Amino acid sequence: MSAPRSSNASRRSLPPERATRSKRKAPERASERLRRLLTVVPYLVRNEGTRVADAAELFGMSETDLLADLDLLFVSGLPPYGPGDLIDVDIQDGRIWIGMADYFGRPLRLTRSEALAIYLRGTALAGAPGLEEAPALSSALAKLAEALGPEALGELPERLDPVGADDRTPGTLSELRRAAAEHERLRIEYYAASGAETTQREIDPEEVFFAVGNWYVTAWDHRSEAERLFRADRIHATEATGQRFEPRGLQGAGRPLYTPGVDDVRVTLRLRPDARWVAEYYETARETELEGGELEIELPAGRLEWLDRLLLRLWPDAEVREPPELRDRVRELAARTRDRYRDSRPRPSG
Amino acid sequence: MHPLERLVNLVALLLESRTPLTFDQIREKLAEGYGHQDVSSAKRMFERDKDILRDIGVPIEVLSTDAWDVEQGYMIDKARYYLPEIAFTPEEITALFVAVRSAGDVSAEDAVRKLLSGVDRGILAGLGAPALMSEADPNLSAAAEAVAENRRVRFAYRNSRGERSDRAVDTFGLAVRGGHWYLVGLDADRGEIRSFRLSRVSGSLNVEGEGTPPPEGFRAADHVWGGPLASEEPSISATVAFSPEVAWWALRGVRGAETVRTREDGWVDVRMPWPAGEQLVSWVLSFGPDAEVLEPADVRAEVVERIEAILAS
Repeated sequence: MSAPRSSNASRRSLPPERATRSKRKAPERASERLRRLLTVVPYLVRNEGTRVADAAELFGMSETDLLADLDLLFVSGLPPYGPGDLIDVDIQDGRIWIGMADYFGRPLRLTRSEALAIYLRGTALAGAPGLEEAPALSSALAKLAEALGPEALGELPERLDPVGADDRTPGTLSELRRAAAEHERLRIEYYAASGAETTQREIDPEEVFFAVGNWYVTAWDHRSEAERLFRADRIHATEATGQRFEPRGLQGAGRPLYTPGVDDVRVTLRLRPDARWVAEYYETARETELEGGELEIELPAGRLEWLDRLLLRLWPDAEVREPPELRDRVRELAARTRDRYRDSRPRPSG
Repeated sequence: MHPLERLVNLVALLLESRTPLTFDQIREKLAEGYGHQDVSSAKRMFERDKDILRDIGVPIEVLSTDAWDVEQGYMIDKARYYLPEIAFTPEEITALFVAVRSAGDVSAEDAVRKLLSGVDRGILAGLGAPALMSEADPNLSAAAEAVAENRRVRFAYRNSRGERSDRAVDTFGLAVRGGHWYLVGLDADRGEIRSFRLSRVSGSLNVEGEGTPPPEGFRAADHVWGGPLASEEPSISATVAFSPEVAWWALRGVRGAETVRTREDGWVDVRMPWPAGEQLVSWVLSFGPDAEVLEPADVRAEVVERIEAILAS
């Protein structure tokens, strides 16, 4: 479905704990350390004098772990393990030199599952509308496929298609990503589906991410004094404020697209088969299969305006079970829409 | 000896050896690693080490060391061990990092790190950037493996209308659209090429064996429905007026939409191509009183009819 959808801007009274990101388990198994070592060492062999800090950052490990691994490398080598057979590790002034390890001068091949993971995630992101890195990503994937050949990827590269999404490319994506990286407050014009209006507000954008076909930005919204999730394509315009903000640690990728709030209304709908897409599109609290392909869903909703419009659109394929007032609201919206058609005569133009 | 040291030495030994080494030879050369224990516990340790190496993808080959196949030896084929040289630009490797970063799983990121050694320096910028995507569908890797190998898979499926069925599909390709992955292939029971949204698969994909290959010129994307607004050949031209609140949004959402005029009260008349009347009625109604169909007249009449029906219900 590519017609308008609600973003259900989320609400939360307190900022959440900072997301814990990719913490490795301690103590590490020898196999993990070996895998990492066979990746780090080729880089260090080829890039003589790499700074310890840079290598640690590049390979996603602490300096302590890196130095501990290099310590073991220092006593490794080839038989008979005399002074001339051991790998030479020299760390001076915070820089690393590795010698006598030409056989570790190139990294281990990607395993099939590694190659697939890179290829799949890369293809998915390359298909996201408006991504600045898309051309570089596509050429990187092409190089990867060519170098690894069918042994790693099979026929996958020829059989994988990102399908162009509709033209709803968020023109503000680059600016949002920049502002999030630089912690700069933005003034935005936003089409809030929850209230079916375009509003002005100032936000502190923290994380930008792609989910279920859309770009989102997690931000602190100064208009509602709360954390909100904004759909990037609904942001009409951005204006830099030049003001910096202190990040609150709001969560980005992987978060639910709807965060329940204390004032939420519990909405129960009965969907006919043609309206089942609603359950795939919005986060539901409960889904119950009924006879004849019908589905009963429970949606938590902070505001009802977007549901009024959704139900007007879905009629007669969706039926309100709870709350009863929602039925009156849809009827009221239908009446106002009818007024629009009564008041105006069609004036076909040009 | 630290296990890591023993493993590193074992890899180095097998990589540099020109001939296959028997376990006894390995034990003799790597005396500090395997020589201290009795033969059977050393052998067990060696077997565990071998499993670890295979787990992380080290291609250990087992070859006979004599013409009579009496003894087996081990070595690592350099050609299969080393990653081929790939000249990535810093922008390309950065893009790969951006793509694989995810909140819960670092394994794909570690895989990209293997590609770093051939890249110029100066790529540290943007490395710490946050993830742009969440985890992929749990069945995606299995589907990709099946496609790569041209397998037939069986799975339980519930289509968009909620109908459940068991499917046997010769996997032809994968397509991603609107953030959803689709498996495309020959539905063996129906004899037609169909697409299956992975999020609608219940349970897992079970490989059943070889599948038939895709037809010449097959493209997975051709078999995934692009939605009403992605259709290539619109059948009607509609004119819809939008309130100033929603006009920019409506214009952005429809391919080929153009502004006909902006009225004094800020309402905007938009002309847009549209494939089917019915979908248009629903879509326009999603704007409530902020949109009004002007043409074609029969669609306008349908909208009014629908509203009257809602009010009468």
